[in-house]
Amino acid sequence: MSFELDGKTYETDDDGYLVNLDEWNEGVAGYMAEQEGIDMTEAHWEVVNFLRDYYQEYNIAPAIKILIKEMKKMFGPEKGNSAYLYDLYPAGPALQACKIAGLPKPTGCV
Amino acid sequence: MAETADTAAEQEEVLTDQDIVTGAKEPSLKPADVKAPELTGDIQIPHLVKGAMAKSKCHAAKPETMEAMGFPGRLVDNWEEAAVKKLGELLTKYKSLQVYLDICVRCGSCTDKCQFFLGSKDPKNMPVARADLLRKVYKKYFTTEGKIFGSLAGAAKLDLELLGEWYTYFHQCSQCRRCSVFCPYGIDTAEISMAAREIMDSIGIGQKYVNTVLVKLHEIGNNLGMNPKALKATMESTEEDIQEEDGVAVKLPVDQVGAEVLLITPSADFFATPHIESLIGYAKVFHQAGISWTLSSTASEAGNFGMFIGSYEHMQKAAMRIRKAIEELKPKRLIVGECGHAWRIAYAFWNTMIGPLDNSLGLKLEYPRPQHICEYTLDLVERGAIKLDKSANDDVIPTFHDSCNVARATRMGDRPGGQFEIPRALINAACNRYVEMDSDTIKEKTFCCGGGGGLLSDEILDVRVQGAMPRMQAYHAIKEENGANFFALICAICKAQFTKVFPKYGIPMIEVGGIHQLVAKAIELGAKE
Amino acid sequence: MSGLTIFFVIYAYVAIAVFILGFLYRIWKFGKTPAPLKIDQTPAPTSDGGVVGRMILEVGVFKSLLKSNRIIWLFGYMFHIGLFLALLKHFRFFFAYGPGWIAYITTFEIYAGLIMLFGLIMLFVLRLVVDRTAFISVMNDYLLLILLAAIASSGLIIKHFSRTNLTTVKEFILGIVSFNPQEMPSEVMFIIHISLVFLLFIYFPFSKLMHSGGVFFSPTRNQVDNPRDRRWVNPWGKAPENIEIASNMTQDEG
Repeated sequence: MSFELDGKTYETDDDGYLVNLDEWNEGVAGYMAEQEGIDMTEAHWEVVNFLRDYYQEYNIAPAIKILIKEMKKMFGPEKGNSAYLYDLYPAGPALQACKIAGLPKPTGCV
Repeated sequence: MAETADTAAEQEEVLTDQDIVTGAKEPSLKPADVKAPELTGDIQIPHLVKGAMAKSKCHAAKPETMEAMGFPGRLVDNWEEAAVKKLGELLTKYKSLQVYLDICVRCGSCTDKCQFFLGSKDPKNMPVARADLLRKVYKKYFTTEGKIFGSLAGAAKLDLELLGEWYTYFHQCSQCRRCSVFCPYGIDTAEISMAAREIMDSIGIGQKYVNTVLVKLHEIGNNLGMNPKALKATMESTEEDIQEEDGVAVKLPVDQVGAEVLLITPSADFFATPHIESLIGYAKVFHQAGISWTLSSTASEAGNFGMFIGSYEHMQKAAMRIRKAIEELKPKRLIVGECGHAWRIAYAFWNTMIGPLDNSLGLKLEYPRPQHICEYTLDLVERGAIKLDKSANDDVIPTFHDSCNVARATRMGDRPGGQFEIPRALINAACNRYVEMDSDTIKEKTFCCGGGGGLLSDEILDVRVQGAMPRMQAYHAIKEENGANFFALICAICKAQFTKVFPKYGIPMIEVGGIHQLVAKAIELGAKE
Repeated sequence: MSGLTIFFVIYAYVAIAVFILGFLYRIWKFGKTPAPLKIDQTPAPTSDGGVVGRMILEVGVFKSLLKSNRIIWLFGYMFHIGLFLALLKHFRFFFAYGPGWIAYITTFEIYAGLIMLFGLIMLFVLRLVVDRTAFISVMNDYLLLILLAAIASSGLIIKHFSRTNLTTVKEFILGIVSFNPQEMPSEVMFIIHISLVFLLFIYFPFSKLMHSGGVFFSPTRNQVDNPRDRRWVNPWGKAPENIEIASNMTQDEG
């Protein structure tokens, strides 16, 4: 599978996740968000950026608990919870946030 | 250049055999479009809707994944011959396969027992019909009856259409063994579907989800692909969380040589929610019991999807990481966290595949080898070594979902049925308000969550949502009747599956959680008397 | 010796030989195929004696089937118990002077045959009318029920309506088993009955009727639940020492 954006072809896997992490840019993220029906706000970008930074460091997406803890730091205690995370990404952090961040889909019993 | 491009475009138009079998060029399912059946509290036996699930196919593994597993990258040219040869080989290795292909009388007693049939109405999801997809081929190529009578005896040639049905319906079986409970001969469709998947892998058509996970397990040591650095960082972060919440320095040690206990737990416990809440529960129990324990960064997975594809070789190879960890970390005891199929492999298979698990590996003989975390915690509670404050869970009305592999393929404690009693006793020790679901849906008759056996993949979310239907009806009924609001589990797959399908049925995912999540809330931390 | 007798003596020996050798071959095959892993269906007995008890309940009262479906159980059980009593009754043909208990059993004979036939008819009807079983049934499932019902019916007719001389039947059968063939009775209903029985003998080892022997080899039912206490060895499994796993981590960059 693949999609085209601004004259460049991006390869994705069967579920629409970007195959090559390095090809990611904000335009790609915006395109994917549009596909998912998500209007990217600053809070959405914060989550995506954190996911990408964490991935660069650890080669895996962060545990959801770590993501939520980080959100608490970023947005304050009233928004540092899974309800807010699901407000931002209704299909869940793995299905949507990782996809928009250009990370591979988490595998295993998750 | 232009010519090559044209040829490539043309080739894309033509469906290969592989595309036909795996449905690769069919439009993908959109998870958001999947709708759940209505909740009434009743589990009805449906009338047949032929072909209802024929299009629900798993993604096929990529050639590089297949090759990393030692399988052909794509469907081999002589696949019919190769499949028959592989079936012949398996028939000499598995008594279960030989006996179960031979002795089914098609009495029909299993036909209304599978959650995937009850949910989907597709007759090929009836256990006997599913097994017959393989039995047909067995009869055709291996039995006198099939050679003489052909289709009158239910024999059939393995053609592309039938292979496509194998790919569809052997990936709509969660290998939960519910059918086997009700079969007069104990025919276990799990054994048949494992064999069928092993044959399919051997001719180059593997399922993506399971094979991708296995490659990560073999390369990195867990299903997630979480490396030691990430594991350690996650454990440290979790320690901080506990410190912040409870004010107690509970540790989650990794790779501690000489710790008393080696804990082998599903890697989802390090990553997903609610799984991680149970991990916190185990850590608090060890802390309060004053026992040194450790995780292993190289054997950081209890799950073992080798079983799902019927591969003894891959199952043994994955399990070997645990033996290596025992040799390196030198624990005295081996304890397994909340994971259904892992407990089956640990309880019933480890001793065979990586054993003997005894003092030759430095394990103490006075403890069960391996021991389930529920056995361990309940024993501490009963001896008074840890204290649980039930009132901490008074906001919770829990019920317990027996996970298929735990219920029907393992035991806890010394007596048959301990696998039912011990988890319930532990919940009752941690809560005041336990309620039980309908007796036809629990213990050995429990329904699968709908995501076991390698089905926990989003492209078949329709299969998973329908497969969850019987369990959801039973939970709905107990909610209506007794106000149940917590769905306690001891399986990582069940947890992931239900957090996904609960919202489809209009139930909040927060109601899903592990038994040790309840223990974590109830345990009294601090100095002992 | 008449042509009829010669034909039936040959038919009898062929049928008996196919049945015995075929049955033994199939059982041998079940027995020799290894069971690599413990796959007992739990809750399972934790001792050998417990497994014997479990098997007795499965074979004696069809415990799992009873748990599953009372209608199939009822008709299936009627057929099997009827067949069992009818077979016992037939023992009198194999003894010159039958033991007393066989005479006692024979007092049930009419019920045995009728129960068996009724069970078979109902199993046939169930197969046809329930959409799920109709879907899974193949022609041989129906033909086998018809064959068994024809055997039961012809037997009942011989016993209650025809004038077959049972003494000549007994002489014929004793002749066969003592390898000293005697004249075959020429009564039509008896010829039909015994022809069908021999046909069943020949078909038996090739068919799903092998469930009769196979059930004892079912690993989910015949294994003891003790894998933590006794190591189960896979005869074709590699010893753990010979398993290579990927040497440690290569991914720890970043």
